[in-house]
Amino acid sequence: MTTVDGQLPSQAQEPSASEASAPGLLARLDSWLERAVDHVNPILVKEARQALKSRQFVVTYSLLLAFAWGWSLLGIALLMPGVYYSSGGRFMLVGYFLVLAIPLLIVIPFSAFRSLASEREDGTFDLLSITDLSSRQIVTGKMGSAVLQMLVYYSALSPCIGFTYLLRGIDIITVFLVLGWTLLASVMMATVGLLAATIARAKHWQVLVSVVLLLGLAFFAFIWTYFILAFVAMTPPLDDISFWISVFAVICFYAVFIGLGVFGAAGQIGFTSSNRSTRMRLLMLLHHFLWIGWMTYAWVVTMQEGALWFLTFAGGIYWIVMGALMIGESGWIAPRVRRGLPVSYLGRMVLTWLNPGPGTGYVFAVLNAATLAVVVILLGIVAQYNAFRGAPFDSGLAAGAILGVAYLAAYLGVARLITLAMRALGVQGGMILPFVTTCLLLVLGALLPYFVQFWLEGFHEPPYSLLQAPNWAWTLNEVADAGSLPGSTSGLGFSLQSGFVLVCVFALVIFFVNLVFAYREVEQVRVDVPDRVLEDEQQLHPPKVIEAPRTSPWDEG
Amino acid sequence: MTNGQPMIELRRLYRFFGETKANNDVSFSVARGEVFGFIGPNGAGKTTSMRILATLDLPTYGDAFVDGFSVINDPDRVRRRLGFMPDYFGTYANVNCAEYLDFFARAYGLTGADRRDAISKTMRFTGLDSLAEKPTRGLSKGMRQRLCLGRSMIHDPAVLVLDEPAAGLDPRARIELREMIRQLAAQGKAILVSSHILTELAEMCDRVGIIEQGQLLVTGTVEEIQNQQTPRSEVHLRILGPNEPCRVWLERRAGVQNLVVEGSAMRFSHMGSEQAQVDLLRELVAAGFSVVEFGARSLSLEDVFMQVTRGAVQ
Repeated sequence: MTTVDGQLPSQAQEPSASEASAPGLLARLDSWLERAVDHVNPILVKEARQALKSRQFVVTYSLLLAFAWGWSLLGIALLMPGVYYSSGGRFMLVGYFLVLAIPLLIVIPFSAFRSLASEREDGTFDLLSITDLSSRQIVTGKMGSAVLQMLVYYSALSPCIGFTYLLRGIDIITVFLVLGWTLLASVMMATVGLLAATIARAKHWQVLVSVVLLLGLAFFAFIWTYFILAFVAMTPPLDDISFWISVFAVICFYAVFIGLGVFGAAGQIGFTSSNRSTRMRLLMLLHHFLWIGWMTYAWVVTMQEGALWFLTFAGGIYWIVMGALMIGESGWIAPRVRRGLPVSYLGRMVLTWLNPGPGTGYVFAVLNAATLAVVVILLGIVAQYNAFRGAPFDSGLAAGAILGVAYLAAYLGVARLITLAMRALGVQGGMILPFVTTCLLLVLGALLPYFVQFWLEGFHEPPYSLLQAPNWAWTLNEVADAGSLPGSTSGLGFSLQSGFVLVCVFALVIFFVNLVFAYREVEQVRVDVPDRVLEDEQQLHPPKVIEAPRTSPWDEG
Repeated sequence: MTNGQPMIELRRLYRFFGETKANNDVSFSVARGEVFGFIGPNGAGKTTSMRILATLDLPTYGDAFVDGFSVINDPDRVRRRLGFMPDYFGTYANVNCAEYLDFFARAYGLTGADRRDAISKTMRFTGLDSLAEKPTRGLSKGMRQRLCLGRSMIHDPAVLVLDEPAAGLDPRARIELREMIRQLAAQGKAILVSSHILTELAEMCDRVGIIEQGQLLVTGTVEEIQNQQTPRSEVHLRILGPNEPCRVWLERRAGVQNLVVEGSAMRFSHMGSEQAQVDLLRELVAAGFSVVEFGARSLSLEDVFMQVTRGAVQ
């Protein structure tokens, strides 16, 4: 047993290791590397140490190597004797991809999930969260560890990949695209795994989430493998500029989705009184602008109205999903968040909607969906005047966009009011409650009127009627089919026109009711930073003393 | 730190979990260099208060401050100044003691030589230097507690919050831990420590607070608390001759309670001051009893605890 008369960290004086290190190339390199690692996320350092010693990594890595060697022998045997004169690179690459797919698309994302989930189970998460590490650093550290493992697997298979290129039959760009996309897919799945780990705290829910995640990963791996095999089998249009533009577009959205996933997971595990919304909303805004930009580009290039319908509808789904999550936020804004609220009139008017809160979240989602509709209408107006080549714009799309926003405002608004009422009755349910409420409302809103009319009409295929006004699916479909704005000579019938007006009026009423309930969130004002914090800030970051410039060469002061 | 400002301050702290009031208006403060013992039965609200101080939970109402920083509004600044040792030990698989401390030193922002120095000094202070390469999951309970203490002080915090640090330790390890805590307090650290081993706390703490059902019943030094309670002593009495007449005589006296005859001796509680005990002895002798032994012992912390708390649970 040791004694307890050791010195405290603040007491003892000891020569540091760097002072004692001997000069020399290796020592200098070692010291440089150590300094470099000081700037690396501590979670990454710890996880790398753990992972490289873990049985899971050793087993997966050994199996990967064994299967890669096995495929090398089997593939060559299958290609024999043509391997000497025909090109078998494509065939071999498919096998190596399949060997990589399991660890990359299932094992690593699931390990990322377990890594974060086990921090909570073992109680180490509490220890982590009281260190200087932010919740974002914790998530990115886990993510970094997953990427490191991916790179180790890639490096293990790099000789095999080089071998496929030497066998010919496949160009280097296709090889890089296959590997690069799979890497990005693996990173995305790891993000999903980390996000899933933050969803549930109770053991039984965690088990359920892990089963669902595992099934989801297996399904995604199957779809992805199918996609890659199809891509390798065809001749990719590498000379076509539109192919590269579409790749760039996908990467743009991908990057923002990863950002949303990371910030979402960090927000879930972050301290309750911190601002976990504003960054997410800024990322959503970036997503929105990207969507509008690429939607406009797609319209200008293709002039395909079907594509524009699809993109507008997808944009609407995006905002109803994000809106359903945002209306579940807490309405309480901690004083530390209020220290950074905008103070000017313009700032408050524009930036208030980025503040955390269910009311601001609702308005944020509706306003963004509305801008999407405005862009669609503007595109239509420009197309009508033939500002750029193409066919005249169908005003049914504009009507659909307006109606879509109205449905979004109405359903989200009602879901928020129901959530407010349930919370007043003591039902909590976090962000899941409004999300499930919105989903239920959307399903019931579409199915109930349909079945009521079906029943009233004696179980015959019913025509569209005013009863279907809450049925967003049918009404939007009718508008798309009618192909013109209400009130125009051709197109919408009386029921549809009445339904259109009814939904828009109802949405406006619900929007204003929600606006009234959002008043408390909007009226929040900036609070002063406490003196103790200012004092500490001054100690941490003392103001730089600016020396007066010397006025004469003899002035030494 | 601002002069005169307490290092730890709980200001009208409430924490409700549904109907359960884990903390119900708890207020106290701990000064620099002071060891404050937090005593209470299981489920009294000690851990809840400590978790709030460690920025792991938020109060329903009220606030807590560490070195003047609110745990609600400035948790980052609180964390830099506070080391927390929970009542469980979070281990990582495939990590040895040195790597464990290295990770937490990095997590607290220590770099280069500062980090290496902090690790080596912490290992020496906690007596873990010979176990640097040992996996954390293979450590004994006592060694784990040492490592846990080391982790909580790796960044040299001004405040330490230790939840049941002596739980499950053998007597020697407990004494060593007590010495370590006293040394840390001598360094000027404010220490809040909870324990069920009340004799330990009585020896190590400058002040104690007794909490039950989320309410802080009493705070002060052990002597102050003893004085706050109804004056009571445990008296041991032995006389020559038969006990029965003496027992009958004593039972008629005011202030004598719980009289028990144990062989040739008797034991009872005496409600009254020391002067009252002197008077009782004089009267015993005057009544003709041959008193051989008359020993009075004042209340221990354990007695005070039993007297103050009701053993109620929520």
